[in-house]
Amino acid sequence: MRRIAGIVLAVLLIGGVVAAVVAGRDNEETGTATKTVRMVIGSEKAAFFADPDVVKALAAKGYTVKAETSGSWAMEGLDLKGFDLAFPSSQAPAAELAAKYEVTGTLPRPFYSPLVVVAHRGAAEVLAGNRLATLDGKSRGTLDMAAYLDAAKDDRTWQQLRGAAVYGELTGTLYISSTDPQTSNSGALYLAAASYVANGGKVVASDAEVDRAAPLLRKLVSVQGAQQSSTDAAFRDFVSGAGNPLVLVYESQVAALLDEQANPGDVVVLYPDTTVNSDHTVVPLTERGRAVGELLGADPGLRKLAVRHGFRPQGDLAEFAAATESRTAHLKQQLTGVRQAPVPTSAVLHELARRARG
Amino acid sequence: MRRPLAAVLASFALLAATACSTQHDGTDGEDDGTAPRPGTLRVLASSELSDMTPVFERVGKDTGVTLRPTYMGTLDAVDLLATGKADGRYDAVWLSSNDYLRLRPDAAEKVVSETPVMSSPVAIGVRTATAAKLGWKPAEVTWSQIDQAVQDGRLTYGMTDPARSNSGFSTLVSVASALSGAQSALTDADVAKAGPRLKEFFKGQKLTSGSSGWLASAYARRGDVDALLNYESVLKGIPGLTVIRPKDGVVTADYPLSSLASTDTTTRENVRRVTEALCTDPVQRLITDRTHRRPVVASVPPAAGLDTGRRRELPFPGSRSVADGLLDAYENELRRPSRTVYVLDTSGSMEGDRLSRLKTALTDLTGDFRDREEVTLMPFGSDVKSVRTHVVDPADPDEGLAAIRDDTKGLEAEGETAIFTSLEKAYDRLGTGKDTFTSIVLMTDGENTAGADAEDFDAFYRELSGDRQDIPVFPILFGDSDREELEHIAELTGGRLFDAQQGSLDGAFEEIRGYQ
Repeated sequence: MRRIAGIVLAVLLIGGVVAAVVAGRDNEETGTATKTVRMVIGSEKAAFFADPDVVKALAAKGYTVKAETSGSWAMEGLDLKGFDLAFPSSQAPAAELAAKYEVTGTLPRPFYSPLVVVAHRGAAEVLAGNRLATLDGKSRGTLDMAAYLDAAKDDRTWQQLRGAAVYGELTGTLYISSTDPQTSNSGALYLAAASYVANGGKVVASDAEVDRAAPLLRKLVSVQGAQQSSTDAAFRDFVSGAGNPLVLVYESQVAALLDEQANPGDVVVLYPDTTVNSDHTVVPLTERGRAVGELLGADPGLRKLAVRHGFRPQGDLAEFAAATESRTAHLKQQLTGVRQAPVPTSAVLHELARRARG
Repeated sequence: MRRPLAAVLASFALLAATACSTQHDGTDGEDDGTAPRPGTLRVLASSELSDMTPVFERVGKDTGVTLRPTYMGTLDAVDLLATGKADGRYDAVWLSSNDYLRLRPDAAEKVVSETPVMSSPVAIGVRTATAAKLGWKPAEVTWSQIDQAVQDGRLTYGMTDPARSNSGFSTLVSVASALSGAQSALTDADVAKAGPRLKEFFKGQKLTSGSSGWLASAYARRGDVDALLNYESVLKGIPGLTVIRPKDGVVTADYPLSSLASTDTTTRENVRRVTEALCTDPVQRLITDRTHRRPVVASVPPAAGLDTGRRRELPFPGSRSVADGLLDAYENELRRPSRTVYVLDTSGSMEGDRLSRLKTALTDLTGDFRDREEVTLMPFGSDVKSVRTHVVDPADPDEGLAAIRDDTKGLEAEGETAIFTSLEKAYDRLGTGKDTFTSIVLMTDGENTAGADAEDFDAFYRELSGDRQDIPVFPILFGDSDREELEHIAELTGGRLFDAQQGSLDGAFEEIRGYQ
């Protein structure tokens, strides 16, 4: 109490304006001022929380959000003191954070987004011409994961694919670039999907299964060399014209690009026929954090904004489908025909990532 | 028996931090660059970013956050992070690329978040006349063609030192990946296999430099170097070059602005705001127009003249052993060796502390000499006192290095200061004909007091053959030496002045390594 008195005194000495602001903050329940909520989030949600409309919608409910980004698996290494919530991109890192900070109760999961592969049209057509993908339209298609993994196993190069020779940039080993599975969620989920397919459509659980899957996963990662640590960075590189022809990103990133960009160029979205959804999961560290986490999933306005940023709100397919009406050239409204691979346990996933990085 | 490069660099990292702390953008006057200040971000930055000043100013206006860069080579910066020496000294890191940083877990864990804010691929800038003579169509040129032109003696080039400059490192990875025929990320086996071919390729390298700026001016001065390998953004700023992104692949720098775990939330919030400001359309437009880098937002097209044809991205090595192994091979086996005469002032005024500092600096420097390097020590007073030449033999590097240390130990301070006479003798000694990077380092603590004077030396230099005129002198300002006198020598010979009055003598010797 003495400290608070001291601060108040100091504030009074500094001046009335500041004092008024502080008083306003203390008087949060009246709703005239907002409560600050500090959060650490996966980089793919940075644009959502920076959107002025999201800021406005949260302010209307009495919250000012300060968001910092971090790799989902790297959040474990951060000191989260002073934060109200952590918002990694999937359940596994969220569960670990919840255990570490002794968070009880259900963890809000306001929205999700499947992993997709982005390519430029030339690369997508070459994949389609070699039975590695099928295209439905010019800008959308399905990637045959089993065929792709076979190609990876055989060290297939672009040069060996029919029709690649006309594209100068399509040389070298055929691979999807992902983020670092040890620090970033999408990289880890890539391994989850690949190991599920390689394991004959069964989630990898036993040591023997891990051993069997490890060499292929190691190959998928080692051909990439240095990996980006965030999906945001990988997607930015793709947009700027740099990087590998095939990049694993979240569907939401593409949707957000389509929303702000009338002419997205010749980007093609390939939905892996077996993929993993990224279940963006809130780990509330304070009451305030829990309130905001729940609001994101419950408030119709915020759900709508999440859709605008390309996320699929939990529990209602119609919202996303309606909003993507104009983007169906690139996006699938319903994820029919896209199998959801379950994610291995956190321990298994860590082990797969470790072995894959070598 | 090879000296581990990383260890050498690690020992240099601290020096670099002090040496470079005076090189921030200068807008803060007296500040030593390391004191924290509200509203200011102390940014550990790649030297390539020094062309971003107008962007820093713009972002400062937009956000109220001042960026105060300290420029450093990538490897040194990564070492500083890994050893914890950046904690509390820097608020953000902004390198040309975090690829190398990610290979060092102890450095990578210091970074909380990173956002690429622009990009530039490695390219080759060829004199337009040479490109025409070679019959090159810029959109079609491959690394193999470049290699062939070098083998045929039709193409020479300059590049920055991979151990000290990110542009050099990225260039090395591009060349090694392309010429090794590796289909995916480089492995140790790829590097070993490509060795002979790379060695041939690097015979064409006629200029080396610790910085892109000096490389450009040396290129302009020489006139007999046909091309430069560097980032597209750097090459686009040099007149008369046809800039080519080889068709079979490039390594691209994506300049991630990164926040650090050691900083507080206010600082990280400032980094986030600066990042956001950098990614707005107007600033992206400013970046591409002013610096020839490529935007990372789809709504801003690359500046006019930046060809938008796609290129294969050559993967950056995924392990430290490959990256360091490649660097090590370059320094000790693949590149042309260096040949240097150290013209060292041991006049009477060096007596005491100055001489002991020289001895320490030289002794430390022996840890950094490369295999095959020829080092001549030429101490002088009223005249040259002795000329001792040692070669670092790959079969037994320690022998040559020990001999250099012994000679250093024996240095004694006595006599006048015959700068120009000694320089002339250094040039006499460096006959041409050897396939080396040849240069002279001049360390003096006073003005010329004996022998030939500046005018005599000018006349002497003008009479030298063209080959010898290509040998630069890198003078080091130390003690009471005369800046103007040394500046003149650097300018006349195409060298560069290094300041050991502001920084340390060790730091100056180390920095010159990038130019040898």
